[in-house]
Amino acid sequence: MSETTARRPWIGKSFASFVLLPFCVLMAFPFVWMLLTSLRDQNTIFNGPLIPRRFTGAAYGDAWTSTEFPLHFWNSVWITSVTVIGVLVFATLSGYAFAKLEFPFRNTLFVLLLTTLMMPSTALIIPLYLELKSLGLLDSQTGLLVLYISGSAPFAMFLMRAFFQTLPDELIEAARVDGGSEFTIFRRVILPLTRPGIATVVIFQFLSTWNEFLIANTVLRNTDSLPLQPVLFTLMGQYSTNWPALTAGLTLSVVPVVIVYVRMQRQFVAGMMLGAVKN
Amino acid sequence: MATATYKAGRATAVTAQKHKFGSPLRKSQRVAGYVFIAPTFVLFLGFVLWPILYTAYLSLTSWGGFGAPRFVNFDNYSRMLSDPIARRAMIITLVLTGVTTALLTFFGLVTAVLVNAVWPKVGVLVRTILFIPGIVSFVVSAVLWKLIYDPNIGTLNRVLGAVGMDSLQHPWLADQKTVLPAIVVVTVWGGIGFTMLIFYAGLQGIDPSLYEAAAVDGANTVQQFRHITVPSLRVVTGLVVSLGLLNGFKAFDVIFVMTGGGPNHASEVLGTYLYSLAFGSTSGSIPQLGYASAFSVVTMILCTLAVIAQLWLTRRADR
Repeated sequence: MSETTARRPWIGKSFASFVLLPFCVLMAFPFVWMLLTSLRDQNTIFNGPLIPRRFTGAAYGDAWTSTEFPLHFWNSVWITSVTVIGVLVFATLSGYAFAKLEFPFRNTLFVLLLTTLMMPSTALIIPLYLELKSLGLLDSQTGLLVLYISGSAPFAMFLMRAFFQTLPDELIEAARVDGGSEFTIFRRVILPLTRPGIATVVIFQFLSTWNEFLIANTVLRNTDSLPLQPVLFTLMGQYSTNWPALTAGLTLSVVPVVIVYVRMQRQFVAGMMLGAVKN
Repeated sequence: MATATYKAGRATAVTAQKHKFGSPLRKSQRVAGYVFIAPTFVLFLGFVLWPILYTAYLSLTSWGGFGAPRFVNFDNYSRMLSDPIARRAMIITLVLTGVTTALLTFFGLVTAVLVNAVWPKVGVLVRTILFIPGIVSFVVSAVLWKLIYDPNIGTLNRVLGAVGMDSLQHPWLADQKTVLPAIVVVTVWGGIGFTMLIFYAGLQGIDPSLYEAAAVDGANTVQQFRHITVPSLRVVTGLVVSLGLLNGFKAFDVIFVMTGGGPNHASEVLGTYLYSLAFGSTSGSIPQLGYASAFSVVTMILCTLAVIAQLWLTRRADR
């Protein structure tokens, strides 16, 4: 903001918009194309114009009925819900303990959890697969849920801890003086104050569980129990020429994610920033 | 000053209370502390720490999944050095990671500066649009781009044909020369929104009076950018770079879905190679769990280095 642009700020702003808007069009193009393709007739994908002359929702019907889409959709909803709830319970409890309670080896245990935070599932997939196999949990949604919750709880704990640390100690001290047990204080006094933190963990966990592919695709072989992502992958081979049905499936799988993102954008962005910066 | 006194006051208050109420309170806190962390910690031991140790052990064995693993010392690691596919996967992983991280950092910074400069309403719109590719799953974006890159009826080739550049039409994912750039485009497309957002938050955190003071001293926009913006963003840049490295080292989904590591291993990375060794999608032979585990260990080491690099960058910026 040198003197010239400070005096005439619209020049800089117009220039920035002029660069950004075409860039946005380019970035959004794949999604626009996905929607357009899902709404066209199957026989127009080879030589029809980019914007179809006639829109039809037939592909959505195809995708919904012929692939047992509802079954996998509900698998995803169910697996994601249980994971979010599990992670939330575990992470708020442990995050609170690490932020506000005094106990021996607190820092050692915290650092231990912290050092493995960035281990990717690519690197752990072999031992996790073998472990589920020896526990008899291979091919079961229970096994998948155990892996999801244990893999995500430490990071969510880390996020929640940051939120709990912003609360004043006096609050807890006062509640202790009033004679509340540690769990009552946590539930009645502390949790209601951490709604923004909880919202962040819920959104973040929802997105990452809904989108998870590698683990689900590896530990579940029984098609009926699969969530959406591995199914979309097989759909790609199955519908290699029926692009309207394929893109309709992709669109349907994205709907919940976009709804959550648009409705809770502010908490989401705030939470992502907190998570990233606190790292 | 004020905060210091406040802190000191609070510290004495807390100690006073501890003395007043004595050990029973502290004991209940101790018990509660362990009970509260127990569920997370037990799962962590069983499904994070144990797998890490187990895969490190497996990497020193030769094992097909049946019977007992046979201890082979560091054979798997020396085999890695002489295996041409492994060497190639290593190089491709590093190149992809380096290139995407550099591109993400550059485009993220540029778009953040522009979004920060533009009218607030336009800024919100741009941020929303740029972020959407980052919230859909890697499977969705990989399938979508695979269709766009399709050699026969893919949109990219059709657009090139429509504007008369038929000579540029190409089987993008089937050609060893273009497969990696094609993957980089998808990764950058998906990651730009988040990178931009981190830089944007960093820009918002810079004190505006710095710019005012610089303007009074007669610094132009470029000078302000170099001497105020860039130094202020050092911590944030460290974060972006280390996240880029981490995401690069663990790359799997997009490549697995788009190419499966092909054609002829031209897009093979550590993740896809270890997956095919262990779960045998390509070889169809006995799973090589020991050898594959060695790649797990290498991936973990790389990810740890990325975290250390970030800590180092942040610390250097603090000085």
